[in-house]
Amino acid sequence: MHSIYRIIKFSLQDLGRNFGLSTMTVFILILMLLSVNVLWGVDILTKQATSLVKEQINISLYFKAETTDKNLEEVQKYLSVLPEITEMNLVTRDQVLDSFKNRHKLSSEVLSALEELKENPFGPTLIIKTREPQDYKKILQAVDVPEYDALIETKSFEGNEEGIEKIQNITNRIEKIGFGLSALFAIISFLIIFNTIRVSIYTQRIEISIKRLVGASSWFIRGPYMVEAFIFALLSVSITFGLIYLALHFLDPYLSIVFSNGFTLTNYYNSHIILLTGIQFVSVLLLTFISSGLAMRKQLKV
Amino acid sequence: MIKLEGVTKIYSTDSIGLRNINLHIKAGEFVSIVGQSGTGKTTLVRLLIAEERPTKGKIVIGDWDVTEIPSGEIPYLRRQIGVIFQDFKLLPKKTVYENVSFALEVAGEKSEHIKKIVPQVLDVVGLGEKMWRYPKQLSGGEQQRVAIARSLVHRPKIIIADEPTGNLDSLNTVEIIEILKKINEFGTTILLATHNREIVNELRRRVITLRGGEIVSDEESGKYRL
Repeated sequence: MHSIYRIIKFSLQDLGRNFGLSTMTVFILILMLLSVNVLWGVDILTKQATSLVKEQINISLYFKAETTDKNLEEVQKYLSVLPEITEMNLVTRDQVLDSFKNRHKLSSEVLSALEELKENPFGPTLIIKTREPQDYKKILQAVDVPEYDALIETKSFEGNEEGIEKIQNITNRIEKIGFGLSALFAIISFLIIFNTIRVSIYTQRIEISIKRLVGASSWFIRGPYMVEAFIFALLSVSITFGLIYLALHFLDPYLSIVFSNGFTLTNYYNSHIILLTGIQFVSVLLLTFISSGLAMRKQLKV
Repeated sequence: MIKLEGVTKIYSTDSIGLRNINLHIKAGEFVSIVGQSGTGKTTLVRLLIAEERPTKGKIVIGDWDVTEIPSGEIPYLRRQIGVIFQDFKLLPKKTVYENVSFALEVAGEKSEHIKKIVPQVLDVVGLGEKMWRYPKQLSGGEQQRVAIARSLVHRPKIIIADEPTGNLDSLNTVEIIEILKKINEFGTTILLATHNREIVNELRRRVITLRGGEIVSDEESGKYRL
């Protein structure tokens, strides 16, 4: 109990008496965390933007007018077992007709031609959404069977195929670049933290050797640095998230214009706050522990 | 108390610290180890506090076989020996009081005992009035007295002083030696490594002379001779 109390006391004393060095260490940690969070934010925004684009792509199966409800049910039942499909919406014949009339309400020729037909010439439409753009090919293959040829008039996705592939390529590239950048940042962050802690310990190398010569055990010497690492991690993560929320306060109004689905980074951070702070706190803590442990090894050999 | 049997320390083929040292120091002795720079005095001190290990031979201090001591036990050995260095080795970010109390805190002494004993020891070395100053606010002599207080505070049976007056003027030198003599009068064994002729001649105690890493003389009431 005495030892733990003394270790905490020494660590607080060291922090206060090496105020400049402690401030600089926390400052560097904050800069590193901000960089990571900027990258994280960009990654989230990219994913959000691509999913928004993906959501706007769908397949429309236009059925022939004579298609019966039974036929429709059968097709829907057949498609509903496919795991790639996330959503299916049926537009009935009447709804298609209403929509057509509404679109051409200013064109009297079109409407009178429709009147002359006496009956609804449109078949129902099935609108399908899939998880990923590349899944559209599977749906295409699934409905490309002879028994459905007689039912389906046309399919609207064929024209979008090229666009879908482009989006898929862009998304894949962005993901790869994001992964590469994240890995690069992780390495840079590790090196920055490692060197910051090493410099901090190097400046105290004589003190460490004196403590050793006076009879301090390794634990008694390492302890205060571990407590300091904990305080550094706590301070840097808290300040970083304070700064992030401040920045988001100004950024979110612009994002809400871009993302019509109501997505904001503040909401994202709020709903993932424990995960985000937890990961970053543990990472900084581990990095500082490992860095100080490695940096101190030489000094503790005295 | 301290026994060295055939102790040799070789750093490299052309750098030999000590050669075949055989030595026995009894409890309560005041022994001066003399010799010119580079004769092995500091090597001997380093071996005694397990800062280095001998290449050959055996070192025993009290019940400790220092040659075989596991690294985890070194702090416990050092808590039994008071060490005074030429460059004082004080913690610059700690006050005089904290520097002295640190030696007790690492040993797990109770806070009440520390609060009582540290001012007493600082009074003994004449620094009771300056206990809240930092080392840089003290003179060289005062800093060495802090180092003596620190080495003394846990009541060690042995104090090893490696050139304790090397950085001090003659007045401070006399004061430091007087303090060491007083400590010795209370029964503490003192091992003084020095190349200060006046001190050794004035002490008239046992003198061990080193040359080229070997003991060339060991006199019960010796003088400084090279």
